[in-house]
Amino acid sequence: MGCKLLQRIQKISLGLVLLVLMMSGCASTTQVVLLPDPDGKVGVLEVSNMKGSQTLNQAWQATESVSMDRAPSEPKILEERQVRQVFREALEAEPIPPVSFIIYFRTGSAALSTESLTLLTKVIDAIQARKSTDIIISGHTDAVGSIDDNYHLSLRRAKAVADMLVKRGIDRQNIQETYHGEANPLVPTPDGVPEPRNRRVEITVR
Amino acid sequence: MSELKYKFMRITLITICLVFICCSCIGTAAAEESRVGFVKNVSGQAFIERNKVMVPAKVKDELMENDVLVTGRIGSMGVILQDNSVMSIGSNTRLVISKFIFEPAKEKLSFIAQIKKGTVVYLTGLIAKLNRSAVKFETNTVVCGVRGTHFAIKVEDPGI
Repeated sequence: MGCKLLQRIQKISLGLVLLVLMMSGCASTTQVVLLPDPDGKVGVLEVSNMKGSQTLNQAWQATESVSMDRAPSEPKILEERQVRQVFREALEAEPIPPVSFIIYFRTGSAALSTESLTLLTKVIDAIQARKSTDIIISGHTDAVGSIDDNYHLSLRRAKAVADMLVKRGIDRQNIQETYHGEANPLVPTPDGVPEPRNRRVEITVR
Repeated sequence: MSELKYKFMRITLITICLVFICCSCIGTAAAEESRVGFVKNVSGQAFIERNKVMVPAKVKDELMENDVLVTGRIGSMGVILQDNSVMSIGSNTRLVISKFIFEPAKEKLSFIAQIKKGTVVYLTGLIAKLNRSAVKFETNTVVCGVRGTHFAIKVEDPGI
């Protein structure tokens, strides 16, 4: 009688040990939290496994999942402070997202307007805020003129912008220039059609 | 029940479990290389593991598909990916960049990350913007489909 009981206890404890082993080996709790965007908007996340799915669509809303064979928990809204505490290191290491600027030009010209020079000040601010070593400048034209001329015009436009940034203290080594001529319009047009939105230089600061 | 039969059962059970645990935890590594992004900042113990070789991560280091971002007990790292999305990890983290394809002209877009343990923050970029089902973060217990835009994931250290 006593022996049977002992065996049963042994069995149960063995089962428990195995359960713990399996849980530690195959699953560990996942917590997913939806954060507001830097501009305050809020996106949507779908958190799912074989047993079910939860949708997060409010700021600081979170769901937890303890194992693959249990559906993610009912979403609940956490305190911002608590989330910031748990994810402090990752949040502090989060790079500022890259930003893009567009500078426009008059027909056939690579000259920078007064407005463009003002915009370049903002570009420099963005470079400094990010300590950016990865600045991409691409020159473009509209579909007026020959393909060859437009290639050279796009090159002169990109160069004009790059030179101005260097003049204002940006290291040229951190700038990559590309020239597209009329090949990559923002607004596609038939050949020969003037389109001010395509006469541009795009700057991406990463 | 005989003692022998009981012992046999116990050994079988333990073996089955061990095999199961091993199988579920050993990943496969395919080596295909393409530029995925670059390291923007590092602090403390932060590494890139490529083809099973772990090297300390430095600012401007390039990232490839199948790279593993790893941090130690004290450490963090921020990266910028080719689609202008940004990702950062806290300490004691292991994240595999399982798949990253960014070819908008060919409409080939995909980013899949596996978080083995630790904390991760991600802000989507062009891939998620152009294809709302192309970005996925996987853990041992769930798949996180990212329709946008900014989120944090924590995976407890399974302790293996």
